Amino acid sequence: MQELLGRLRALDPGAVISLRVIACFDELIVGGVNSQALLSAAASLTGCVVGFSIDSPARAMRVSPQGEQLAGDALVPSDVRLKWSDGALSVWLEREGDPHANDALIIERLSLALRVRYDRSGSADPRRDLGLMVDADVDEDRRFEAAARQGLSQSTRYRFVVAPLFATWRTHPAAREDVISTSSGPLHTLIVQQTTTTVEAEPVGIGQAAFVSDFPRAFRTAVVALRLTQLPDTPVVLADDYGGLLDVLAELPAGYEPADVPAVASIAGHPWGPVTLDALVRTASVREAARVAGIHHSTMTTRVQLVTETLGFEPLDGVGRLRLGLAYLLWRLHRSSTLTLPAPVDGNARTS
Amino acid sequence: MNGTGDDAASMPAPPLDPELRAGLAIVGGVFPPTVTPELVPFMRRSYASMPYDQIVGDRPIIRTDHTLNGWQGAEIEASVLRPRGEGRARPVILFLHSGGLMFGDRFSGIDLAVEWITRFDCALVTVEYRLAPEHRHPVPFEDCYAALAWLHAAAAELGFDADRIVVAGASAGAGLAAGVALAARDRGGPHLSGLLLDYPMLDDRGTAHSLTQFDGIGVWDRISNETGWTALLGDARGTDGVSPYAAPARAEDLSGLPPTFIDVGSVEVFRDEATEFATRLWRDGNDAELHVWAGGFHAFDIFAPHTRLARGMIRARNDWLERILSD
Repeated sequence: MQELLGRLRALDPGAVISLRVIACFDELIVGGVNSQALLSAAASLTGCVVGFSIDSPARAMRVSPQGEQLAGDALVPSDVRLKWSDGALSVWLEREGDPHANDALIIERLSLALRVRYDRSGSADPRRDLGLMVDADVDEDRRFEAAARQGLSQSTRYRFVVAPLFATWRTHPAAREDVISTSSGPLHTLIVQQTTTTVEAEPVGIGQAAFVSDFPRAFRTAVVALRLTQLPDTPVVLADDYGGLLDVLAELPAGYEPADVPAVASIAGHPWGPVTLDALVRTASVREAARVAGIHHSTMTTRVQLVTETLGFEPLDGVGRLRLGLAYLLWRLHRSSTLTLPAPVDGNARTS
Repeated sequence: MNGTGDDAASMPAPPLDPELRAGLAIVGGVFPPTVTPELVPFMRRSYASMPYDQIVGDRPIIRTDHTLNGWQGAEIEASVLRPRGEGRARPVILFLHSGGLMFGDRFSGIDLAVEWITRFDCALVTVEYRLAPEHRHPVPFEDCYAALAWLHAAAAELGFDADRIVVAGASAGAGLAAGVALAARDRGGPHLSGLLLDYPMLDDRGTAHSLTQFDGIGVWDRISNETGWTALLGDARGTDGVSPYAAPARAEDLSGLPPTFIDVGSVEVFRDEATEFATRLWRDGNDAELHVWAGGFHAFDIFAPHTRLARGMIRARNDWLERILSD
């Protein structure tokens, strides 16, 4: 993978390669892989033999960039920049000459992953400050400490900006940023001022403004906003545009299957379904919906009849309109592949 | 994605191996999961091979370059790589590179194949077949078949053992390899000792369930596959007129093919095409070996060879080749 890092840099000189390295180790930690796998990744990323030793239980291992365990004595470098130790656990790169650009980061991530693996101390929590701040299961004091370390004020509102690692950035805002592991995969996360309501990147979600005490919810609103993006038409979604609806969406438990969504999915299964639903939700009348969808008024009337039959309620009246709108958003969230899909490459820089 | 409203994206998929999932954080920047026609120029840059000297390193390998006549006599390039030193007539492997029929060159993804040269004391012939969409079927396939005919005819001169020829390919190259083996059978061409198909791209019809499971995952999804087949076949993709030499899954009779090795990941679009092809090889009385690697995305051995799963895949493949090639 060292070769791939070189390729990334050549394809996009502005790429934030460190975020990819961090995400790679985050996934290894979350995946619970063994020591050899951790060392293999580090060896593959650096292109040189990587070793570690631990005093209890006593063991040592050296692994080649091909992932094979090597016999023989360790060639622990004298250069302190190529090794790390806390006295009990040691990690080193068997590199001749000066460290390469990402060596320090890889040593740091590898040593952390090994400490987590061997559960050596409470200090080995793999989550960094941004990850701590957005986790509702972390007690508030620790979240406030993390915020203070990041220089965030408790009396100021901030927003989270989240993007997949594959997002395309035209300009990269100066902000605190990190990769946060979520159930949907690693997310590139930035904290910005509350006045920031758009970002020149795609796809990207921008959450509601919130105080530090409310960061876990604020982060969820950003993730929901990201999942509501649709390339190429809607590359950026600001949570505020959905107001209280987004609060509801952000609070739904994982795996929850709300009413009306199966019916919406069934309608969306028709070739004409998604565009019709989108037009109905966005407009105030059948005539206007027909215009937005680019079809004749009578065609839309026929479709509305089909939609009504499938839903089992009137989609354009009072509460029925609310039900359709909410079910439609939930369906979009459910089928969203924004977190795994790459943005199309148009020759612009892909960073991170 | 394409507004057809199918539920492909929400089909439950087998989980990725954790080491490979981590690898994708790096790989994704170079090889995105979804390749559309607009992305082909990017892919041609990102999937171009690295400098030859870096690939071969300090291995004792000699390279000679040759020009041969491809389809309709057009000149195409091929390289012969063989171990340094004189020796007996050596077995020879025709290597057909990966790249979705649209990108890559004859040294793309060749690292693992270069290992075979010294490990099995064999020669490797790698051919610069012409690419789609500039060159549609039958150009890439016939270029590859011409390379087989050429190496067979030149065997004595180049020190090859004409009785021990293996055709090998990965992904799109594996689809071409299977097409070449079918044509060698049908045309009374060179006898083949083995056919090595790594995660082969075999079927333009796109009806396998696995094609619907991995939108946006890994390095080659349904959209990428449609892009590749459309580049090769144009409007003919999916119609009755497509030749089995272009899409070997369409061959009704697979009997008389050489011993065949197939490997594939469980988390890739080609999983079902590969397992189906193996089943049909057995049905038609062939010697075939199939390995499905649980949690593997497409071509994970090329992108993340250091992982446990890739090392297993490489070991199983080399073990089969050793049985086919060794004295």
